[in-house]
Amino acid sequence: MNNKAYFQIAGKEEGFRIESRILEERVQDAVEKGERRIEIQAFGQQGIGGRLWKAGSESVHVVIKGQAGQRVGSLGFPNTFIEVMGPASDDVGWLNAGSQIVVHGNAGNGLANAMAQGKIFVAGNIGARGMTMTKSNPRFDPPEIWVLGSVGDYFGEFMAGGIAVICGVEPQDPENVLGYRPLVGMVGGKIYFRGPHSGYSDADAKQVPISDEDWNWFAESLKTYLDHINRKELFKTLSVREDWQLLVARTPQEKGGVENRSMSAFKADVWDKELGRGGMIGDLTTMDRSPIPLIPTSELRRFVPVWENRKYTAPCEGTCPTGIPVHKRWRLVREGRIDEAVDLALEYTPFPATICGYLCPNPCMQACTRRISSMIPIDIKELGKASINAGTPDFPAQSGKKIAVIGGGPAGISVAWQLRKAGHEAVIYDTEETLGGKMVLVIPESRIPGDILSAELERISSVISHVHLKQKPGRQETERLKGDYDFLVIAAGAQKPRTLPIPGKERMIPSLDFLMKSKKDDIDPGKKIVIIGAGNVGCDVATEAGRLGAESITLIDVQEPASFGKEREDAESYGAVFKWPCFTREITEEGVVLQTGELLSADTVVISIGDLPDIDFLPKSVEIKDGFVKVDEFFRTSDPKIFAIGDVVKPGILSDVIGAGRKAAEAIITTLRGEKPSAESADMIDTDRIKMEYFDPRITGFDDIDQCGSQCSSCGNCRDCGICVAICPQAAISREDLGEGEYQYIVDDSRCIGCGFCAGACPCGIWDLIENEPMG
Amino acid sequence: MSANRPVTPSTLNIKDLPWQILWDKEKCTLCGRCTAVCPVHSLELGVFRKRIIETNIEVNHSSSNAFKVYHGIRQKTDPQHSCVGCAMCTMACPNDAILPGRSDEADKLVYHNNQGGQPRRRGGRRNVPGGVLDQIKFIRISMLTDPALDAGRHEFELRTLLGRVLPPEENLKHIKENGWIPPVREIYPLIIGGMSFGALSPAMWEGLQMGVAYLNEELNMPVRMCTGEGGCPPRILRSRFLQYVILQIASGYFGWDEIIHAIPDMKVDPCAVEIKYGQGAKPGDGGLLMWYKVNKLIAAIRGVPAGVNLPSPPTHQTQYSIEEAVAKMTQSMYMAWGFRVPVYPKISASSTSLAVLNNLTRNAYAAGLAIDGEDGGTGAAYNVSMNTMGHPIASNIRDSYLNLAALGKQNEIPLFAGGGAGKTGNLAANAAALIMLGASGVQIGKYIMQAAAGCLGSESDRCNICNVGLCPKGITSQDPRLYRRLNSEDVAQRVVDVFLSFDTELKKIVAPLGRSTSLPIGMSDALGINDYHTAKRLNIKYVV
Repeated sequence: MNNKAYFQIAGKEEGFRIESRILEERVQDAVEKGERRIEIQAFGQQGIGGRLWKAGSESVHVVIKGQAGQRVGSLGFPNTFIEVMGPASDDVGWLNAGSQIVVHGNAGNGLANAMAQGKIFVAGNIGARGMTMTKSNPRFDPPEIWVLGSVGDYFGEFMAGGIAVICGVEPQDPENVLGYRPLVGMVGGKIYFRGPHSGYSDADAKQVPISDEDWNWFAESLKTYLDHINRKELFKTLSVREDWQLLVARTPQEKGGVENRSMSAFKADVWDKELGRGGMIGDLTTMDRSPIPLIPTSELRRFVPVWENRKYTAPCEGTCPTGIPVHKRWRLVREGRIDEAVDLALEYTPFPATICGYLCPNPCMQACTRRISSMIPIDIKELGKASINAGTPDFPAQSGKKIAVIGGGPAGISVAWQLRKAGHEAVIYDTEETLGGKMVLVIPESRIPGDILSAELERISSVISHVHLKQKPGRQETERLKGDYDFLVIAAGAQKPRTLPIPGKERMIPSLDFLMKSKKDDIDPGKKIVIIGAGNVGCDVATEAGRLGAESITLIDVQEPASFGKEREDAESYGAVFKWPCFTREITEEGVVLQTGELLSADTVVISIGDLPDIDFLPKSVEIKDGFVKVDEFFRTSDPKIFAIGDVVKPGILSDVIGAGRKAAEAIITTLRGEKPSAESADMIDTDRIKMEYFDPRITGFDDIDQCGSQCSSCGNCRDCGICVAICPQAAISREDLGEGEYQYIVDDSRCIGCGFCAGACPCGIWDLIENEPMG
Repeated sequence: MSANRPVTPSTLNIKDLPWQILWDKEKCTLCGRCTAVCPVHSLELGVFRKRIIETNIEVNHSSSNAFKVYHGIRQKTDPQHSCVGCAMCTMACPNDAILPGRSDEADKLVYHNNQGGQPRRRGGRRNVPGGVLDQIKFIRISMLTDPALDAGRHEFELRTLLGRVLPPEENLKHIKENGWIPPVREIYPLIIGGMSFGALSPAMWEGLQMGVAYLNEELNMPVRMCTGEGGCPPRILRSRFLQYVILQIASGYFGWDEIIHAIPDMKVDPCAVEIKYGQGAKPGDGGLLMWYKVNKLIAAIRGVPAGVNLPSPPTHQTQYSIEEAVAKMTQSMYMAWGFRVPVYPKISASSTSLAVLNNLTRNAYAAGLAIDGEDGGTGAAYNVSMNTMGHPIASNIRDSYLNLAALGKQNEIPLFAGGGAGKTGNLAANAAALIMLGASGVQIGKYIMQAAAGCLGSESDRCNICNVGLCPKGITSQDPRLYRRLNSEDVAQRVVDVFLSFDTELKKIVAPLGRSTSLPIGMSDALGINDYHTAKRLNIKYVV
């Protein structure tokens, strides 16, 4: 190199180092003045050789001798050629935009940081963080660095473009020419290297084969490089293609992450291998633990539907004191089997027409589920009245067992009817000529047409033995009957009127006496009648008095009258006046004097505050409590051979005594079979299970029996409507015909998901959804 | 139920409930999935009546009306079946036709969930949203001051020590006099806290264990998981995975006979033994595994008969003081593994925590102290215990750390903080705050249930039925019909995801502080908060 050809700039002046700023000004000044070959004697000044744009398109050659400071050629221009005649400090070519820099020695850290164009040829090794943040602008050639030896740690971080060549000649670390953790965050560019390495960021870079095109470029460029660093002799050594490897950046799509072992592979190859088959608890359970979907079927359902037909009692049946399955009669009506619906009642009561159709206040209708939804109850009265035509059932041959029944009223008839139906002989002892008791003797015709009652009594008389006693039986006679018969049932009723211990009490007529006489038109109540006790019997008296011509009818009571229903309506229709609270002081010729002194004038005064049973004829073995016979749930008295039912046990409505007769008969029949009577009865259905929404709430009356049948919700008893089949989203429910009119609805477990739609939709409350059997 | 029913004081309607089911008749196909999946059976098919009125005002033309029946989804209103808001119905619905919505006003159920005189009990966490941890900021960011580190580029070694770290001179003295120095483990600072096999389903527990094993063996992250009180499956006890496990012993002592029987067969030592004295979310209330969660499997692992209630009393019957506890149980536990396994107590955060800590400083057997704050929580307990008992973790861990600093032992007894970290999802930030307040590591329970298994619970009382074994995700149920919804491999993968992302986030926080190889334990000058009194109380900077 001809010194004379170079413009000389010294880094030292009068023995002192000049500042980097001054040196920079002198270099820029020289270029501006036209100098194109400049030699600098550097003393660690920074940034030499950069920014020489003032030369325009003309080349500027800068030779640096001495100690080059940091950032040689920073912000360099493409017209600039820099040659550092020894080693270089840090950040050579920082932000280089095109200059070519040759370093004849090692270079420090940060070489080519953020360089976008240009080339750096290093004749030795470089320090840490070389080729970091490099760029590649499509408008220009990519930047290149060539390193003869090795690169320092963290090489190529965030490298976005350019080509780096690491030749591995006399590397600083012979074991690793790429340094520690190179290429973290690399997104572009290529790295050719030769020699061993200790890994690079696998997530960012990958090794690729060197293509012929790449190799041709490389071999050509290698010559230029070696030429610049004056090491042409190495060409042969370095041009062995097999010695070289090429790294490129992974594309964003390839950067999905390091390929780790999949969890299922880990489970199979590591987890289960260490723990054994079945993993963590494979030794403790053999149960299938494989994943299942959210909505499984079969045994994996959490809930299962159950078809509970007839498991629970309908409210009508459950509240009927006689226990008549009312809903079953409506089912028969719906099925067009009206005769069977009518006949069915005789299974339960000998008075289906008299009582269900006329005399009963019908608790079944009070309890009807429809009422909860403010709908009118299904009207049983019509079906009751129709029962007058019920065919008398066939009675079996007699078993030889005999039961005596004292009392031919509804209670006695009921027990005898049931016993006879079971094949036992029941003999009724009664002081009256005809059976029927109070129904015949005292209940006004206004409430029960005589022909209806006599028709039913006729049906009864045809099958039941009746012994007419001329007088009331005494204790001895009762004892005898007990000895003669297998069982004795006391159904003698209550005829002893309760009265008031007041002056003039002899002027009062007991209600039963009044009614018995009135029924035969054998009494004249006069124009004014006062009835003490305003219950239903009092109402009957009022009605009869009205019928017989009374004009002023007053019923008094010490409290709000308990009368209700037809009895009360009938009394009111005769203008009966109810007064309370009234406490009677005495009865005089004028009438009833109250404790207030008020006189209720009366031609007739009737006392109607209840009746007590006559218990004198009962054997001593029968325990009495509070004037009534004490019985257990089967109507057994304290004497095991004697049962008691009806008003001798407890005052009640007619259906109560019919039911008592049936239950006592069942207990007797069971006992005769040598078994213990049982009182198991089904629970009443929860009416929340019944869906009244299927029925028209605006019906205010029923046109006929058929409409009654159709509007009955058949609580707890399948209507066979098939809504469950239709609603089931899984088509899991089907109807199975069992023959003889029987059927059931069944669930295909393999289809059912346990949604409970069947239970939700069933109008009758048959389906329930229960928890599946516990598992595990 | 009839709309015309008589009402009782506890008759509620849908408006009174905390959650209302919003059902879209148009979209619904009546497929039955919602009613089938509802864990508390609060949905049913309803039969509804629709009335159509045809009117005609002309003379001699009559108007008419007709009823039509339709079917739809109905929400039950009785307290036992009230919707818990889990939204499994929404999950199961093919048409997005159903969704529980939170009531727009205070619910009335809260006054009626004590039927029969039995106060409400529930699973899940404390029903109090928010907390101080989320308000703490990291204000010391190295700007050309300390070496600024790049979380994405630099290498980190985020580890903590579990075990008693004695000063060198004392260690030498110990070796000389006793031939023993306390064992110390180097572990990852985020620990899966004690949730028992029994409280959690087999699928969940295996998933957690598998994920932890994966982190250790495939990713070189020494993550540890505590068993909780319910023993440990025999196969784990006899496997190399035991080294990733912290065995817990608590007042019910469940499963310890199986652990003892396994000691001769153990390939490796467990990481540590945690003695539980209290749970942060329900201090003073013991544990109770209800009989229906105690199936054959649970019974086998716990060493009890199946189908019985398993109470863990709030206290250890034979120990009346921390001195006694350290002297008796800690030493015994050390003996079990030849003094090679660190043993430390876990207590509920409490105003008495310092008394416990001071006792531990005087005993070289104490390998650390885990303090569990009131927030978070996974246990089953009385509502009142969960919501009102306990102490926040922030000031408690801070007081404890400053107390150790005053004694010059802040590097000797590691403190582990739990209770509410990640409560609102900010796990790394909360954990970093706790570490800078003085914790050597952080325990998580609730967070991992939510993040790794999709627990639906929330601080606003969603779901929270873990106590009755009805977990709709199968996380806390022993019923195969429920827990088979959960795949242990998926849980394991999520555990891995959680720890990897936590690791990155923790680096993003500690790198700007210039920390990469040592956790900034107690580095409270990096913390700031915009509440003056909290700043003062925690001895951190007040920033606005």
